[in-house]
Amino acid sequence: MSIVTVQLGQCGNQIGFEVFDALLSDSHSSQGLCCKRENEAYQASCKERFFSEEENGVPIARAVLVDMEPKVINQTLSKAAQSGRWKYGQHACFCQKQGSGNNWAYGYSVHGPRHEESIMNLIRKEVEKCDSFSGFFIIMSMAGGTGSGIGAFVTQNLQDQYSNSLKMNQIIWPYGTGEVIVQNYNSILTLSHLYRSSDALLVHENDAVHKICAKLMNIKQISFSDINQVLAHQLGSVFQPTYSAESSFHYRRNPLEGFKDPALYTSWLPVHAFNVWKTQRAFSKYEKSAVLVSNSQFLVKPLDMIVGKAWNMFASKAYIHQYTKFGIEEEDFLDSFTSLEQVVASYCNL
Amino acid sequence: MRRRRVDPAAGARAGALPEAIAALSRSLPSGPSPEIFRRAKFDRPEATSALWQLLFRVLSPLPAGNALASIALEVQARLVKSALCSQGYPRLALAQLPEDGSQGSRELLLALSWLLARGPVPEQMLAQTRVPLGDEMTVCQCEALASLGPPAPHMEAEGPVDVRHVQWLMGKLRFRWRQLVSSQQEQCALLSKIHLYTRGCHSDQNLGHLSVTEAEMLRDPEGGQKVSGAGAAQNLDLAYPKGLHFSCTPGMGPRTFWNDLWLVPRLLPGDWAAPLDPGGASACSLLSPLRVLLRTLERESRRLEAVLAWRRAEPVFWQWMDTVLGTCTPEAPAAASQPTFLPWVPECGDGELELVVRELQTLEEELREAVERRRVAWEAKARGCGRGPEWSATRRASRETVEKELGALQRCWEQDSGPAPAHGPHRLVRREDGAAGDRDLRAAELIRTLRSQEACLEAVLRQLQGQCRQELARLAGALPGLIWILPPGR
Repeated sequence: MSIVTVQLGQCGNQIGFEVFDALLSDSHSSQGLCCKRENEAYQASCKERFFSEEENGVPIARAVLVDMEPKVINQTLSKAAQSGRWKYGQHACFCQKQGSGNNWAYGYSVHGPRHEESIMNLIRKEVEKCDSFSGFFIIMSMAGGTGSGIGAFVTQNLQDQYSNSLKMNQIIWPYGTGEVIVQNYNSILTLSHLYRSSDALLVHENDAVHKICAKLMNIKQISFSDINQVLAHQLGSVFQPTYSAESSFHYRRNPLEGFKDPALYTSWLPVHAFNVWKTQRAFSKYEKSAVLVSNSQFLVKPLDMIVGKAWNMFASKAYIHQYTKFGIEEEDFLDSFTSLEQVVASYCNL
Repeated sequence: MRRRRVDPAAGARAGALPEAIAALSRSLPSGPSPEIFRRAKFDRPEATSALWQLLFRVLSPLPAGNALASIALEVQARLVKSALCSQGYPRLALAQLPEDGSQGSRELLLALSWLLARGPVPEQMLAQTRVPLGDEMTVCQCEALASLGPPAPHMEAEGPVDVRHVQWLMGKLRFRWRQLVSSQQEQCALLSKIHLYTRGCHSDQNLGHLSVTEAEMLRDPEGGQKVSGAGAAQNLDLAYPKGLHFSCTPGMGPRTFWNDLWLVPRLLPGDWAAPLDPGGASACSLLSPLRVLLRTLERESRRLEAVLAWRRAEPVFWQWMDTVLGTCTPEAPAAASQPTFLPWVPECGDGELELVVRELQTLEEELREAVERRRVAWEAKARGCGRGPEWSATRRASRETVEKELGALQRCWEQDSGPAPAHGPHRLVRREDGAAGDRDLRAAELIRTLRSQEACLEAVLRQLQGQCRQELARLAGALPGLIWILPPGR
C-alpha cells in the first residue's frame, strides 16, 4: 500500500513538496463531507501510503530527495519542517555541490554511476520501512540535466533491482518556448530511456498547466509556485484513496488507475478496459471532483514537435559535443529518435 | 461421453440413492440438496442456478470467502463455461446454455458428474479449505505442474485477432503477475515478523514461536469465531496464508495489528497450552481460542466423514447418472458435417420420387467435393498462418520437444539435488540455533537447490533467445533493403 517517492532535480523537489503538502492537508481537512468513520479510514489509508510514523507523531514523508545543488533541497526541507504538520526524513536526501549544467549526459553518465550506491541505499532504506510496498513514484523534469539524466539512470536501476515493483514517472514537459537551449535533446533522451524502464509515464505540460492558471484561475503573474500547486492538486486527487469495486470497506491497494468514456476507445480494446474509482470523501475543499488519467493520442503532437526540433538541431550537430564529451554518442541519439518515432507511429496507428 | 462401469449389485436397496447424493452434497462445500439433483435429472429450471454456483465453487481457483458470493450469476456461469472448455469438456450443449440460470440443469448435472469422474473432487475441495494450524508452504513442484492439466483442445479463433489486443492482454497479465509476486514478498516479510515477535511463546519447544493462526487466535479470540468455514469473514487487506480469514472492523489497518501483536507475548503466562486452573482469571481468555479451534476441527471431521460416506455410496450415484445420460438426446460429433436435409417432396409417383431423391443426392455429393477442394487449396495457401494441418503438426512437434527438454531438466535436477523433498505442505519454523530434526528441511539448502534450477532454466532461456535472434537475423538478411526495428525489450 505504500509508495516511495523519489524527487529529482529542482523541479522534482519543488513539485514533490507541493504534492505531499496537498495530500496531507486534504487528509486533515475538516470538510470531508462524509461520516467520521469514513474519514478516519481515508486518513489512515492516505497516511500509510505516503507517510511513515515517528515517535512524536509527526508524519515523515516516504521520499528520497536527490539534487546536484543544495539550494532547492534545503528550501524544500525547511518548508516542510516549518509547516509543523509533516516533514522529510533527516537522512532522506542526497545532495552535491556542482549541478549538472542542464546536460543530460552529465546527469546520466557522470552523476548517475558516481552516486549510484548512495542513492540506491537511500531508496532501499525507505522501501524497507514499508510494511507493504506498492511501487515508486518518480518526479522529474525532462528539460534540465539532473532530473532528466539522473532520473533516467535511477529508473533504470530501479527496474533492475526491483523488477517486480511498479514505477510511475511523473514528467514535466517543458514550455515550448523554454529557456534551456538543449531542452529538446534532454527530452528525447529522457523519454526514450524511460520508455524502456518505466511502467507508466504521467505527463504534465507546463504550457497546459500555465493555461489553467491563466484562464481558469485568473492568476495574473503566474509563478512556478502557482503551477506547482495546480499540479499537486491534480496529482493529489489521482493518488488519494479510492474504493475498489468489490468491497466498500477497504481502500484500494495500488493507485495506478484509469477512467471513463466508451466512445473514445480504439476498435481492439474491450469496453471493460476502463475503470472507475470512487470515493465518498471530498477532496481538498471541492465538493465534487473528478480526475481523468488517460493514455491517448493527446501526446502525439507535442511529442512530434519535440522530436522534430531535436532532429533539426541534431542534423546541424549543434551542441552535440557537450554530450559526446560525457559518453553519449551520436548512436545513442539515433536510437532515441528511432524509439520515439516508433512510439509516435504506434499512437498514430491506434 | 464414456459411460462409467458400475457394479450392478451395489445399492440395490431402496433409499440408497438419496443417501448417496446427500453424502455427495455434504462432502462438497455449499453442496445443494438432493432435491436439486433430482430436479436436474428432469431438466427443471429451478435447479439451474444452484448447479451453476456449485460448479463455479468447484472450478474456481480462489479460496472461499465473501468475495466469491458477491460475483453475479452470469459471471459465474461464464467462468464455469470457459473452465470446462479449457479442461476439454466434450459436450457442446454446455457452451450454448444461457447464462441467466433459466435452463440447462440437466446439462450442468452431466458436467458435474464429468468432473467427479475425472478426479477426486471432494477430497481436493477439502484440501483447499483446510485450516492450517502452522504457516505452511509446499516445497515440491508436483502440485503446480499437475494443476496445468491435460493440454487443451485446439481452439479456433473466431475471426482475425488484432495483435494489439493480444499485446494489451499480455501487458495486463504481466501487471497482475508482478502484483502477485510483490504480494508474496510482502507475505514472507510479514510471516518473518510474526515469527520473530512471538519467540518463546509456544509450549512446543520444537516450534518455539507462534504461527499466524495461533497468533491471531490469541490476539482476537472472539473474532476467531469466524475463522474459515462458510464465509461470513472478511479479508484484511494484507496477504495471509490461504484458508485463513479474519474478522475486521472497517478502518483497521496494519498498524493496529502490530500493536496488538507486540502485546501478545507480554500478556501470556509462560505455557499457554498447558492445562489451566479453571478458576483462574487467565483461563477464560485462553480457553475460547481453543474452543474455536476445536469447533473448526470438528467441522472438518464432519466433511471428511461425508467424503468417506460418499466413496462408499458412489456406485449407486453412477447407476443413477447412467439413467440421466439416457434421457439426453445423443449429440452429433463436433466437427461432422451437417446432416443432410432432404426437401420434403409431396407424394407423387414412386418412380419420380426416386429420381428426384437420387438427383439431389448426387448434387449434394458434388457440392461437398467442391467445398472440400476449395478448403484444401485455401489451407495450403494459408500454411504457417496459424491454421491448417501443417501448422498443428508443427505445434505438436514443438510441444513434444518442450516436454522432452523439461523432462530431461527435471531428471538432471533430481540427480544433482539428492533425495527429493517430501511431497505436501511443510510447516515454516524459524530457529535461531539452526538445530533440525531428521525429517526437517533446511531453508538454506532448499534455496540453494532452487537457485541452481533457476540458473539451469535461465541458461536454456538464453540459448533459446539466441536461436530466435539468429533466426530473425537470417530472415532480415534475406530481404535486402529491409530494416528491422525490434521493440524495446524488457
